[in-house]
Amino acid sequence: MISISKLLCDLDAEGDGLRYDAADESDKSQITEEKQRRPVVVWNTTKQCNLYCSHCYAGAESVAAPGELTTEEGKDLLDDLAEYGAPVVLFSGGEPLVREDLAELVSYADDQGIRPVLSTNGTLLNRERARELRDAGLKYAGVSVDGLPERNDEFRGQEGAFEAALNGIHACQDVGLKTGLRYTITEMNAPDLEGVVDLLSDEGVDRFCFYHLDYGGRGADISDVDLTPEKRREAVRRLCDMTREYHEKGEEIETLLVGNYADAGFLVEYAREELGEAQADRIYRYLRRNGGDPAGERVADVDYQGNVHLTQFWQGYSLGNVRDRSFGAIWEDESNPLLARLRERSEHLKGRCSDCQYQEICRGGSRLRALAVHDDPFAPDPQCYLKPDERVPSSSSPTPSD
Amino acid sequence: MDDGSTQVEKASRTRVGDEDRGDDLPEWEVFLRGDEDAKMSHVGSVSAATAETAHEHASRLFGWFASDVWICPAGEMHRFSTHSLGPEGEDATPEDGTESRTMEF
Repeated sequence: MISISKLLCDLDAEGDGLRYDAADESDKSQITEEKQRRPVVVWNTTKQCNLYCSHCYAGAESVAAPGELTTEEGKDLLDDLAEYGAPVVLFSGGEPLVREDLAELVSYADDQGIRPVLSTNGTLLNRERARELRDAGLKYAGVSVDGLPERNDEFRGQEGAFEAALNGIHACQDVGLKTGLRYTITEMNAPDLEGVVDLLSDEGVDRFCFYHLDYGGRGADISDVDLTPEKRREAVRRLCDMTREYHEKGEEIETLLVGNYADAGFLVEYAREELGEAQADRIYRYLRRNGGDPAGERVADVDYQGNVHLTQFWQGYSLGNVRDRSFGAIWEDESNPLLARLRERSEHLKGRCSDCQYQEICRGGSRLRALAVHDDPFAPDPQCYLKPDERVPSSSSPTPSD
Repeated sequence: MDDGSTQVEKASRTRVGDEDRGDDLPEWEVFLRGDEDAKMSHVGSVSAATAETAHEHASRLFGWFASDVWICPAGEMHRFSTHSLGPEGEDATPEDGTESRTMEF
């Protein structure tokens, strides 16, 4: 996760500038000299959902799937994660609010010292539920909206979904539960980006998290409507410009990018062009501490049946199952050749990633997209939109200093 | 301190839930042998329609080295472990198929 607003508009706020992937909800100071040692864990608590979104990585359905972790199993899992030192658990789904025991699990996580945060479509959130979750210790609710009302409702498979999500956001605001937007960018909804930010900022939303489409679950089925590199670059540039425009007007919004670490290289290039070499150099150093794509390292996923995945989007491959082995044992087992290679991926990245000057802050981007498009988890990320002269340093574009 | 006893504590394993782990696609456990002299190792599971496509999927993930790949339907694996989640003996899904933890909407 890369915070545009912190990097471009608040360069002195070193303590809060960079975030873990999948932990857009965390407010903890996260820039340190030490690399994050334990992963943020996304827990898909259920496969059931009341909506049917065309990009759902979890392939959620309207009915519950067999074998979901029970409440007691969930608490044991949270014990397991706490013992291992997971800093954040992101309750996700399906739609996690269909679980009646959600507040109980949130409370348990909080008691164990894991920061509980939520990813929801927002449509089942009312003031009573928001208050219950706040009282249980929930720290943040990220609400998914994927366009202006008409486009969002089409994307989410239900008329009125936008309004219902907005009501959910208001419910959180009313009870003082921190909330923000999650928006997955595709060619279909890229034209709505600014409109959604303008509309929701008027509604008091000040945190906007933009996801690039990853090619897992139903997301893989709509890769044909993913943005071209040119349009992706244009969309990210617009987000950078818009963030600075808001800042210049004195209206502070937080904007973040998730899921494509070509953004890291682009932000350095953008800063060099717009803010000068010193700022670009400073941003590069911040991003280097963040560490690039986190799959298999700084983010993990446990699905509704307890299968452990390399990221929440990579549901088609599981390292093991927490019902028969502890999470820590699975995650530490580098006898798994894919896990081991991902953790030393700089030695294995191929093609244009192998000599890219931004490899250290990107780490090749999404390995799942590389697998989906090139049948090779170490091929270049098809979503990379950096230009050739940006990837390979020239004499006029010095390598960022140490 | 070694008392010379040859007795060891017996491991107490329980059966891990046998719910079908496949959704739209069946789940397949994957085992690899790096080369002829190596032991076969479990390396996780993949989602795939058939054993052949599971093998192709595994080959894409691990194809750089393995001399042998074994694929087994996850539903045919009966797992017994000393590790467990939740109270022993509780089924993750009640036999009547109800999911009392989820809400109607």
